[in-house]
Amino acid sequence: MISCRQLTKRFGDFTAVDNLSFEVEEGAICAFLGPNGAGKSTTLKMLTGLLPPTSGAATVAGLDVAAHPFELKKHIGVLPENLGLFDDLTVEEHLRLTGDVYGLPHADTLHRTAELLSTLGLEHGRNTFAGRCSHGMRKKTALAMAMLPNPRVLFLDEPFEALDPVSSRNLRDILEGIAARGITVFLTSHILALIERIATQIVVVRGGTVVFSEFTSALERPLEDLYFDLIEPPPMEKLEWLGSPRR
Amino acid sequence: MARLTPALRAVALANSRDRGSFGSIATNNFFLVTALFLQKAGAFVFLLLGVILLFPLSADPLKKLPPERLALWPLNGRQRRLLRLMTPWLAPPAWIILGLIGFAVYRTVTIGVVATVAAFFVLGFLVSLIPDTRRQGIFRYVPAFPGSLGQLSRNHFRQMLATLDFYAALLLAASAAIYRLIAPRFEHEIALAMAVLSLLALSSHALCLFGLDGPQGFTRYRLLPLHGWRILAAKNGAFLAVAVLLTLPLAPLSGLAGGLAALAFGNFPSVSEPREQVRWRFSSGASIGLGLLQTFAITSAAVLTDRFGPLILLPCAMALAASLWYCGRILDSPLSAFAD
Repeated sequence: MISCRQLTKRFGDFTAVDNLSFEVEEGAICAFLGPNGAGKSTTLKMLTGLLPPTSGAATVAGLDVAAHPFELKKHIGVLPENLGLFDDLTVEEHLRLTGDVYGLPHADTLHRTAELLSTLGLEHGRNTFAGRCSHGMRKKTALAMAMLPNPRVLFLDEPFEALDPVSSRNLRDILEGIAARGITVFLTSHILALIERIATQIVVVRGGTVVFSEFTSALERPLEDLYFDLIEPPPMEKLEWLGSPRR
Repeated sequence: MARLTPALRAVALANSRDRGSFGSIATNNFFLVTALFLQKAGAFVFLLLGVILLFPLSADPLKKLPPERLALWPLNGRQRRLLRLMTPWLAPPAWIILGLIGFAVYRTVTIGVVATVAAFFVLGFLVSLIPDTRRQGIFRYVPAFPGSLGQLSRNHFRQMLATLDFYAALLLAASAAIYRLIAPRFEHEIALAMAVLSLLALSSHALCLFGLDGPQGFTRYRLLPLHGWRILAAKNGAFLAVAVLLTLPLAPLSGLAGGLAALAFGNFPSVSEPREQVRWRFSSGASIGLGLLQTFAITSAAVLTDRFGPLILLPCAMALAASLWYCGRILDSPLSAFAD
């Protein structure tokens, strides 16, 4: 369902993503992990047509990302890094916009909107302008927008960040449910315990290159141990002034 | 005082940086055209711009700081009260009023002028104290536009309501409409001139249609399965609706023609060089040359429609269609200014 072959993105002299190659099967939940600045969001942007790759190729839902960016948009749902919301539209209006633009019948849009608002705990804020919503509400709104058109592939950048525990568990259940129904989920996250529970495939990147790619069923030790072996922590200062007599 | 001084300095710094955004008026079409062509006759327009600017300038300077940050600062009750009393003096109109009082002492301005400016200041200050959620609540009543792009047009309509250009145009159109109702004789040419002036007040906004969307809006536009021309058409629809509504009591057909011309010129700078705009400020136009060309096009379209009838709408609509097609392709390009 997702295929990357030597995908590369350079910004001037800086190589953000370097010869990235991996495959994701239909109905998989693929967790794309790595430290900040590893190239996760850049890869996501290339796979969703937001950013043209410098070289290499990628196909999503059988479509070449660079050759068919418009057709691709009809088959994917995206939770972008910056959420992509309009400050002057309310939560509910964002969902109506999505239904209208994807050509859903009005009744379907209303029905799906009601279900998503209820499931994500957004009902009380449905008439709040996105510009006035909390970060958690904004994230849920963008998530609902990604799911509403019933896409074949969901790309989610940090979907669990800023969500309360109940919403986080609801989302986990939703993702597992829709993956079982054949929707492919490609997500980035830093919450390893959660990823270990829901992901069927793990891809770890560091410095723009893949350093680990495996199905979770084949993991022989806890994901956290594996991750810390793969990703070296930065040198730590002791910050001894913290807790010392105050000045 | 030791803790109050850095707090005051932070408020002053935040306000002085914010005041820089008022500079957008210097590149606003309406301001430039008024200064260049109307000269002394433009005094009324400058007065109107001054009154409109007075409101955002009078906003409570303390509002520039996040309330959570302000609450966390280690200031005691007395220091907080002092901060409250001192910060209104960071608003420029407070000093303007002081200056006017000085002039009033020497009878160079009347007490009435001082009282009017003071009243505007107090009103602007008090309005700024109303929570943003309540002030913005009125925007909820903007109806959705028909069609699949209705919500996008509604979004843009609301964005227009958050620019000072709209209020300048509204004041011009409304004052002319009221005068038309009460004046015993109202020349048709005056109605046309006021309609054109209202359109010119809106024209800079047509040059930066994506200015209030920000990076989030750009991302969403690129994710939606919509061709660029349709995204532009949604924005153009909202602009035209505002233009026609404002010119309806004066010269609606000329207003429509002028609106079409404004957009035909405005779409290209909007997509090729999207300039970020600030809410509750005048829109900053593109280059002076383009602004003058746009002004000429708006005026010509409005006057010709008035002279020769609705037939002139046809070339205006064709020009807009051509600009939609061309600028839509720019939006669709993977290397457009909207790409991450």
